[in-house]
Amino acid sequence: MKLTRREFIKGSAAAAAAAAAGLPWRGEAANVVTDSAYTHLKWSKAPCRFCGTGCGIHVAVKDDRVVATHGDIKAEVNRGLACVKGYFLAKILYGKDRLMRPLLRMKNGRYDKNGEFTPVSWDTAFDVMAEQFKRVLREKGPEAVGFFGSGQWTVWEGYAAVKLMKAGFRSNNIEPNARHCMASAVAGFMRTFGADEPMGCYDDFEHADAFVLWGANMAEMHPILWTRLTDRRLSHPQVRVAVLSTFENRCFDLADLPLVFKPHSDLAILNYIARYIIRSGRVNRDFVERHVNFRKGVTDIGYGLRPEHPLQRKAKNAGDPGASEPIDFDAFARFVDAYDAKRVSALSGLSRKQLDALAELYADPQVKVMSLWTMGVNQHTRGVWVNNMIYNLHLLTGKIATPGNSPFSLTGQPSACGTAREVGTFAHRLPADLVVANPEHRALAEKIWKLPPDTIPAKPGFHAVEQNRRLHDGLINAYWIQVNNNLQAAANLNEETYPGYRNPENFIVVSDVYPTVTAQAADLILPSAMWVEKEGAYGNAERRTQFWHQLVPPPGEARSDLWQIVEFSKRFRTEEVWPRALLDAHPQYRGKTLYEVLFRNGQVDRYPLADCDPAYRNDEAQAFGFYIQKGLFEEYARFGRGHGHDLAPFDVYHQVRGLRWPVVNGRETRWRYREGEDPYVPAGSGWRFYGKPDGRAVIFALPYEPPAEAPDEDYPFWLTTGRVLEHWHSGSMTMRVPELYRAVPQALVYMHPDDAERLQLRRGSEVRVISRRGEVRGRVETRGRNRPPPGVVFIPWFDARLLVNKLTLDATDPISKQTDYKKCAVKIVPA
Amino acid sequence: MKRLHRSILAAVVLVGSAWALAQGALSWGIRGAVPVPETHPAPEWPRVEESATRRARDYPMQPPTIPHKIDNYQVDLNAHKCMSCHSRRRVEESGAPMVSVTHYMDRDGNFLAEVSPRRYFCTQCHVVQHLARPPVDNDFKDVGALITEAADRP
Amino acid sequence: MSGSHETGWRGWLRRGWRILRRPARHWSLGFLTVGGFVAGIVFWGGFNTAVELTNTETFCIGCHEMRDNVYQELRRTVHYSNRSGVRATCPDCHVPHDWTDKIARKMQASKELWGKIFGSIDTREKFLAKRRELAEHEWARLKANDSLECRNCHDFRYMDYTQQSPRARERHSTALASGEKTCIDCHKGIAHELPDMAGVEGF
Repeated sequence: MKLTRREFIKGSAAAAAAAAAGLPWRGEAANVVTDSAYTHLKWSKAPCRFCGTGCGIHVAVKDDRVVATHGDIKAEVNRGLACVKGYFLAKILYGKDRLMRPLLRMKNGRYDKNGEFTPVSWDTAFDVMAEQFKRVLREKGPEAVGFFGSGQWTVWEGYAAVKLMKAGFRSNNIEPNARHCMASAVAGFMRTFGADEPMGCYDDFEHADAFVLWGANMAEMHPILWTRLTDRRLSHPQVRVAVLSTFENRCFDLADLPLVFKPHSDLAILNYIARYIIRSGRVNRDFVERHVNFRKGVTDIGYGLRPEHPLQRKAKNAGDPGASEPIDFDAFARFVDAYDAKRVSALSGLSRKQLDALAELYADPQVKVMSLWTMGVNQHTRGVWVNNMIYNLHLLTGKIATPGNSPFSLTGQPSACGTAREVGTFAHRLPADLVVANPEHRALAEKIWKLPPDTIPAKPGFHAVEQNRRLHDGLINAYWIQVNNNLQAAANLNEETYPGYRNPENFIVVSDVYPTVTAQAADLILPSAMWVEKEGAYGNAERRTQFWHQLVPPPGEARSDLWQIVEFSKRFRTEEVWPRALLDAHPQYRGKTLYEVLFRNGQVDRYPLADCDPAYRNDEAQAFGFYIQKGLFEEYARFGRGHGHDLAPFDVYHQVRGLRWPVVNGRETRWRYREGEDPYVPAGSGWRFYGKPDGRAVIFALPYEPPAEAPDEDYPFWLTTGRVLEHWHSGSMTMRVPELYRAVPQALVYMHPDDAERLQLRRGSEVRVISRRGEVRGRVETRGRNRPPPGVVFIPWFDARLLVNKLTLDATDPISKQTDYKKCAVKIVPA
Repeated sequence: MKRLHRSILAAVVLVGSAWALAQGALSWGIRGAVPVPETHPAPEWPRVEESATRRARDYPMQPPTIPHKIDNYQVDLNAHKCMSCHSRRRVEESGAPMVSVTHYMDRDGNFLAEVSPRRYFCTQCHVVQHLARPPVDNDFKDVGALITEAADRP
Repeated sequence: MSGSHETGWRGWLRRGWRILRRPARHWSLGFLTVGGFVAGIVFWGGFNTAVELTNTETFCIGCHEMRDNVYQELRRTVHYSNRSGVRATCPDCHVPHDWTDKIARKMQASKELWGKIFGSIDTREKFLAKRRELAEHEWARLKANDSLECRNCHDFRYMDYTQQSPRARERHSTALASGEKTCIDCHKGIAHELPDMAGVEGF
């Protein structure tokens, strides 16, 4: 914003008045303010609000407003750098259409599903909401309520939500949008290592000799990690970069080995590399014998579609897709031997020479190799397999958990790791890798939470895509969505999400900061505080937990998601939500509110207001009368301490630029499973994959299987979706920053010029892109930053006008239940 | 004919949003008044703004936006088109602003003889600006305006 | 890819040469003179037509080396597609328009034919390895002729500075106007990707 003429004159007039009164004004220089009373800025640290990289940001505050943001020079992750989004973070708080009051659909002064949004008080909002949730719980039970959260929740928000749902409402129907982005990575980790999250860390960037990008467009999606990779490649000319993608993107500018492969053929390429390692005699025999088991997974596992879908009916092992049986090395070698150069070339479109050059990076014992992947691998109907198969290569060669040897699963959201995964805000999980299906895990959680046995239900809840289907079918009827824009994000929104939200049987609550399309489809909108308008904690992709203080007050009546969850819990008594048998056996819980049972349990409310840093405000602590964030964090941390997930004491995190767990005796862990680095690895063992009972990681024999939908005569193009550098996710924050909007004002349809010419289209032509599920309109780009090969189109999903997820198919990986957003079939016609 | 259609559509959208506002409803953010199940027409193709003057920044640490087109500017392992004008040695001839001194610092804060490779890809921070009006305004306040306000307070 | 094809016309060349070496046995000197004159005209026309045929983009991208590398790059640039639809084809920039220069360039091109036969850039890797050398030839040629092929379309006398961007206006009205710089000095890589630019002036 520039100083307007009026402001300038006002300033001059004030100066003149001050001068006349003989008062000093704005220091000495005429046109430069030098008086420290005016020029002083209060700088504080906070992790970035956007991606999973977890950059440290330095935030300047003046008069309760954020006035500047830049990369924190002391932050280990980014050392002073930020991407363009990070530099403009200061502006995401100030979009003109910030939601400031609860809005309820009303007609004639009452809630009505078809009414107009009307401002109401928080009390009215919670009254109506509690009435709806109680009605559904009473009539249909806990399986009919749901909570859809986010990898953008702070740690304690996710933790409070888990407690409210799993213990309070006794419903496991809580899911994060991280199901859409990281579920395959999680299942991959659990299957191979028995424990979630990477063993390596970002320090690997400065040690690796070769980088292999499996579909990840880091130059745009993880810009600051890309600077570290670029720095390593260009400072050390011997370093090599291999970039695999289904279309050319900005990463190809740095590629020594540029590899455009046919969608879905990554499965075959990975098996070829395993075969190459074995055939060239470069298996690390010693490592494999001491630290690895071999297993063969079941095949023909379906595509996670609705059970009546023909593809699901046909699949042999859709019932238990994650099953596997033990095999030995020889059986594995025979299995991958079927993936010879001729077959894999035909499937992938890569030449033998290209395949060998890629395989050699893994096979050569002198080359320290870092594999990197995100959505290309995870959003894949065989995403868990691909994760497993990348680990196969690192395990065969023993290139793992040492500096520079690193299979590294990148993350999309700022706290997909810290909140969604570590807190366990999934339908099947509890904190610290515990699961609801395991009675010992439930018992431990109930003990820590000071709850009667059997409070937490044993049956996992419904996963994200299933929740949408059940909303559509009227089986889930009360639904709360926080910190995400799931109507824009979930696949097949025309046929599943939208009809589900607008189903007359359902009551949909959306907590957000801006009027997103999801909010538009809700029945009650709750205005949220965001980022530095509350105290928070995020955990990034390298297991780094980072804290920030509340720096400014939220606007209007906006309140943090934490306040909303805890405040809402006050409206429920145990008799209203727990079965009589449970209360009869434990009458001391009778008559209490969920607030008292869950949050005033002598633990969460243990830390007084005096513990808060007096230099910062803390609206939630003030509202509840105790340091609630500290209480929640310390209770949560009990799950992981002593179990390989150790977190440091709460106060430490406010001092440091994050620490990578496990933090034992004040020391963080950079490389897990490695002797000398990880305190959980006994001396003399070298490596120990202690997530598995026998300490051995698993190499999986898994095949190539075709995708759920492929181009045909009617729908001849592959559609792949994704992000751009300038906009984050659904664009609800970045599209409101003028500089970012003007940098990339709309989502374009990236396609090959030959395809465009054949369809008599040109750059800028408006087209209708049509799938079996819906239609969108966009403009053709044939020269842009993304260059698809013939037959492939790419459309980013940030644009609420285009809504590309009208086109995508809600097929998921059957093991992880994560949607494949990268592959469906479309046709293109001139608009 | 097509243009007429488009104007009619635009008019309908405008009237629709005015109606929505009059009803006390929200201005529906980025998407505007087109309901989700309907297909939103694609916005016009915007041109890149080429300005003769430098643009003001909201705060000193903000990376300047690029005031010219960068179509086909090659920045890869072979060539660095941006630095052919903005490098220390090239600015006298090109008249372009030199990249800031921070760009010579490595990860550990040491100054290098040349621009640090971590800053190699300019477009990670510096972006062009299209002549497109954001559908939603932003109320960010410049610190200068806050100082004026503070000075105005009695 | 087109190996049998090449053998085909190599055979044709050999047969043609044998016929040419045989002395005349049946025709008079006069017939040969007049006939030679007529044949000369026909040949001349044919030659020029043939040369012009090689001066088309279709001819250039008949070889996959050109089609898959430089032509694909050209398609993403303003010299292929732009506001007014006036576009440059390969020969517009790479073949001199003046007859003598054109023939000289064509004689040089015989070396490229040699390269084609022996496949010196028949893979992407080989092309990339040779790209700097190939680019340098073109830069040197354009530098020597003061960017003649650029100026065939972009005539300095008719540039309207008011229609140019401020940056372009500033550079064109000084360095270009004074003759200190020629087009190619600043506009390398506008129609194709650049090779490794280490040590190239201006980079």
